[in-house]
Amino acid sequence: MLPDASAPLNTVSHGRTLPEGETLLSVRGLQKIYETDGGPIEAVRDLTFDLGKNELTCLVGPSGSGKTTLLKCIAGLLTPTSGEVILDGKTVTAPPKKMAVVFQEYGRSLFPWLRVAENVELPLKNQGVPKDKRATLVAEALDNVGLAHVPQSYPWQLSGGMQQRVAIARAIAYQPEVLLMDEPFAAVDAQTRADLEDLVRKVRAELGISVLFVTHDIDESVYLGNRVIMLSSSPTVVQEDLIVDLPDERDQLETRSLPRFTELRHHVYEQIQRAKKGFRPDDALAQ
Amino acid sequence: MRKALSWLGFTFGLPVILIFLWWLATTISPSFFFPPPGEILVTFFETWFGPRLWLDVLPSILRFGIGVIIAMVLGVVIGVIVGLNRDLRALTEPTFEFFRALPAPVLIPPLLLLIGPNDAMKIFIIVLAAIWPVLLNTVEGVRAADSVQNETSRSYGIHGFSRVRYQVLPGAAPQIMAGIRQCLPIGLILMVISEMFNTTAGLGFAIIQFQRTFAIPEMWSGILVLGLLGYGVAVVFRFFERRVLRWYHGLKDLENAS
Repeated sequence: MLPDASAPLNTVSHGRTLPEGETLLSVRGLQKIYETDGGPIEAVRDLTFDLGKNELTCLVGPSGSGKTTLLKCIAGLLTPTSGEVILDGKTVTAPPKKMAVVFQEYGRSLFPWLRVAENVELPLKNQGVPKDKRATLVAEALDNVGLAHVPQSYPWQLSGGMQQRVAIARAIAYQPEVLLMDEPFAAVDAQTRADLEDLVRKVRAELGISVLFVTHDIDESVYLGNRVIMLSSSPTVVQEDLIVDLPDERDQLETRSLPRFTELRHHVYEQIQRAKKGFRPDDALAQ
Repeated sequence: MRKALSWLGFTFGLPVILIFLWWLATTISPSFFFPPPGEILVTFFETWFGPRLWLDVLPSILRFGIGVIIAMVLGVVIGVIVGLNRDLRALTEPTFEFFRALPAPVLIPPLLLLIGPNDAMKIFIIVLAAIWPVLLNTVEGVRAADSVQNETSRSYGIHGFSRVRYQVLPGAAPQIMAGIRQCLPIGLILMVISEMFNTTAGLGFAIIQFQRTFAIPEMWSGILVLGLLGYGVAVVFRFFERRVLRWYHGLKDLENAS
């Protein structure tokens, strides 16, 4: 069914793993069980995959598939029940310095009492970065996201798309190696969304960082990613790990009208539909 | 010009009407206990812009200021510590609610015995009464810190004291300011009441003394001083509140507009 160029990468229910040295971030056997009053709930069952250097990987799955749980475990904001996340050879137990997170709720993630530049500056200030260095980093980051003209505004004075740009500027000024984005554009309009997608690709390429981009939008995942990891429904395992063999130069009109884009999109869509219906690669294996 | 006139009208309209009604009532049926406004005004300047300013008014204001500032600082510090700790909240909540519900003036007699009839006791009773709105509002504001803001701080390595300074306190500021707004009149009330027991100076003492010696216009002028003081405190508070919460008011205005 799937053309050769993007043959499934690895064993069933696991994502691609890379040799040491090429890996930036490893997720190994990650499981998360929430203890609730109504008994334990297994959100994530068993996730294994690697993130290479200089990659833009999209995580896509049906709603309620534990995407946010996974992202928070990777970010060190949640402790996995078992398994581990390894960044640059070190197990993640708390939010690592080399990681920055862009949240979906930009309006709540930006501090409303700080102006745009102050929001971007705060993590650096907290780290004790000298003042002139801070000023340079903030100016560069705002310039990168096309917001050099509003440093003195309050975030809530800006449109939703611009607020999310501020959040992205804050993340890149922090100079991370990995940028985690949790459905960052779910709350902005379609036009703004297209602009922001291109912005993420541009910034990622310029700064040479790796991005893990969580989305429920299939088109977005194929358009943005070098690779798409599809998740099963909860309790989550990897449904499939797919290389996106589209040209590196992406364009909202050109790329989206390529036959290959349509094929990939079609394939991801089918996989997600199967996941929604409850198909699980681990069950399939057991049978 | 029109704008200035309408501002004047709205600001002073009601006071002018009330003073006029007072004047009318006292002219139609003069009473020893209700002197006309003109007489109160004259007495006001005679009584309070002399030695009494130094002996009664300023010491009272000083005790009020010190008491309220201690209440704010302690209220915010304890409130942040308690608000950040769930166990501490559960442990302290019933006790705090008890003390808040207790009318502070009833503590004056025992405190008089314990501390004595001095400034320390008066300041202490102001702190004891004024701290609760600040403390409880701070606890609530800190407890209700936004979960996404918390995660943002954590993911950017902002924790401990830095988190309090950069995220928790500014985030709780609207609620803290609401507590401070409530604590000011309470402090003023306790300032007066504390001066009505076993003392020989202060605004509260002076008013009681005027009443007991049938110096009725003086008594009324003292009440006027208290009213003006309370108003002045509210104006100063509003000035600082506008500066500290500029972002908050801007945000709210925008939300209301849309």
